[in-house]
Parts: sequence; C-alpha cells; structure tokens
Amino acid sequence: MAEKEPGKDTEGSELGETARQMRAAEPYIAAVWKLTGGAVVGVLGGYFLDKWLGTSPWFLLGLSLVGISVGFYGFLHEMARLGKRKR
Amino acid sequence: MRKAMVLLVGLMAGVAFASPGAQDEHGGTGQEKEGEDVAGYILHHVSDSPEYEIEIPLSHDHKAIHLPQILIPFRDGACTPQQTDHGTVIPGLGAGCLDLSITKHTVMMWLAAVLLIGSLLLFSNRDKTKLVPRGTGANLFEMLVLFVRDELAIKNIGKEEGPRYTPYLLTAFFFILFMNLLGLFPWMATATGNIAVTCGLALCTFVLTQVAGIRAAGLGGYLAHLTGGVAPWLWPIMVPVEILGLFTKPFALTIRLFANMLAGHIVIFFLLGLIFMLGHPAVALVSVPFALGIYLLELFVAFVQAYVFTMLSALFIGMGVAMGHHGHGEHEHADHKETGHSHDHGKAHMLGS
Repeated sequence: MAEKEPGKDTEGSELGETARQMRAAEPYIAAVWKLTGGAVVGVLGGYFLDKWLGTSPWFLLGLSLVGISVGFYGFLHEMARLGKRKR
Repeated sequence: MRKAMVLLVGLMAGVAFASPGAQDEHGGTGQEKEGEDVAGYILHHVSDSPEYEIEIPLSHDHKAIHLPQILIPFRDGACTPQQTDHGTVIPGLGAGCLDLSITKHTVMMWLAAVLLIGSLLLFSNRDKTKLVPRGTGANLFEMLVLFVRDELAIKNIGKEEGPRYTPYLLTAFFFILFMNLLGLFPWMATATGNIAVTCGLALCTFVLTQVAGIRAAGLGGYLAHLTGGVAPWLWPIMVPVEILGLFTKPFALTIRLFANMLAGHIVIFFLLGLIFMLGHPAVALVSVPFALGIYLLELFVAFVQAYVFTMLSALFIGMGVAMGHHGHGEHEHADHKETGHSHDHGKAHMLGS
C-alpha cells in the first residue's frame, strides 16, 4: 500500500472524475450565479415592489442598478478570493 | 443490406403515395381538424387525470374508473368548482382549497411502489448465512444495488459518507425506474411525465443536499454561505441571490426528468398519429416501425433517466458533504492557511448555486 505523502491530502481519492471536476468548478459556478442572480433579484424585486406600491418604474430602475452592482461586486470579490487561493 | 434499402425506398414511396391521397380525400381544413384531434388525444393521454381509462382493444369503447376526489377547504366554499373558458376548474391552494385527489399518476406511483417492494422482498437475499444471491432476479437486483452504491454513491459522495446516503439513492433509482418502465405497458401511464412528481422527487434530493451541507459545515457554516461572503450591508441583495441559487439544482432535476419522459411518449404518439393526420393506412408502414424504434429507445431512456437522476442527486449531496471537507482540490487545501472568515466562506461556497 502506498504511503501517504506528507502534506498531500488524499481524502476524496475514491471520488469519480465527474465529482472531482464538479467540486473544482463549484466556486466558479457560484461566482457566475452571484453576477446573474444579483441582476435577477434586483429586477424582480423592483418590479414587484413597483407593482405593490404603484411607483412604477422607480423601484425597478433603482433596484436593477443596485442588484447589478452588487452582483458585479460579489463576482469580482469571489474571483479575487479564488485568485488568492490559487497563488 | 440491399433488401433493407429496397424496403426503405418502398416505405418512402408509400408515404409519398399516401400524402396526396390524404389531400384529395379530406382537403386542408379536414387535415387541420384531424391534426387538432390527434394533438388533443396525445395531450389527454400524457396528462394527469382524475379518472383511470382502460381502452378496450379493437373497439372504440373504453372503461373509465373514477378516482376519489379529496378536497380540503380552508374556508367555507373555497373548493366550489368554477366555470372558466377551459371548463370546470377546482380552485387552487392560493384560493384556499387543498386538492389531495387521487389521480391516474398517483395510482401509477402506488403501483410502482407496490411492485418495487414486492420484487425486492422476493429477490432480496433474506438468508444472511448465504451471501451469494441465487436466481436471475436476485442477481439482477444485486448488480443494480451494487452499481448504485459503488459507482454512484461512493464515486460522488465519498467512501465515508457515501453509504449513509445509499438507501435514499437506491430508493430514488428503483422508484423512478419502475415508474418509467410502467409507462411503457398498455393501459398504464408514466408518472415521471408529470412535473409535480419530478418536483417532489427533486425536493427530496434538495432536502438531503441541505442536510448534508449542515451536517458537514455545521449550522453556522451553512448560514455563512448564504451571505455570499460580502459585507453585511450588502446582505439584503446577496442573501436572496444565494437562497435563489439553492433552488437551481432541484429545478434542473425536475425539468430534466419530466421533459425526457414526456417527450419520448409524445414522439411515439405523434408517429402513430401521422397515420390519422395524413389519412392513409400506407403511412403505417413507416410510422409504426419508427414508433417501435422510439419505443425501444424509451426502454433504454427509462434506465438512463433513473441513472441520471440518481447520479446527479449523489453529485449534489456530495457537494453538500464537501462543505465540511478540505483538501478535495488544491484551492480547498490552500484555504486552511487563510483566516477564519475565509475558511467558513470557503466551506460555504462548495454548496454554491
């Protein structure tokens, strides 16, 4: 039986290729979701708030901008963190 | 090979001969009406229904069994049927009426469950002193069970946590497989061709994925990922984004199984419906072999879809389990060196969208 190399984690070595690739891709998928999800939540939130309060189109415009900005911030924040980890 | 080519050309000629004949006989409007009838027939057969229809072969007659209607009103008169453009409709949950009626697909689910329990009781090796299964059925089931455990659970979740989730994965695999296969028998229906059924199955996987995440990362780590790792003043936007992201996986599971099972049946029905739409018996020379081919493909798809649902469930549960593990990837290992905040954040992101 092969000796466990010091400093090298062999946990999860029984995992299939798909599972390993999916786990590796997961942080990037999460980052992309932040970008798109921010816009989705902003637009939908604004639309329904406008509908509820009768203030069309102000909440739609405002929350869309906020949502897109937060989405971008979340995405860049995540990418910067992943970049740091890689280094 | 040459014979097959001649046969194919003959069939094509049959279609070419059939189409103009149909034009002459019925004309444009007649064909459109026929098409609408065929589409209505197909939709009627693939959709859920409060009655179970048994068509009597070689006759236009059918026997309808009315299934029990169970309506629970949350307020007086909430379940009163209403007349709309699409016929009589029972109000939904939003109007205060909980509809728990037994439908065709519910019966199919029960039948699949009964067959599944029966066959597993019959073929499981209950004599613990003899570990080698005897007989074709027992060997077939053992092969499938071992496949789900070794190739799906352990390969996607891991050696430690995989066996814990194997019972659920086996239940999902066999239940979906039996429902898919039942739909290929005459007088039966495919319960997995109903979005409510696939949504229910996907919700089971969703709950287990979240449980796996909470078990692995702890409630604090799990909740930390919902903040997206951003400053607290951005939480009002980021928390809904992360919560919405949790539902993308069960949504994909729901649609994938539902669409695949429904599409196959619609294709078979349409190929057979071509005979009536084009209005010539010669069309059957082409459409029946094609429908038979799709039917055989459906037999394969029944297994493939059960496999895909189980595999993806295992993959998602595995990603939940990975929230508490470190070292699956290089970057995860490196995360140990970071601060406590990013440590939690790193764990949290394994669940991601």
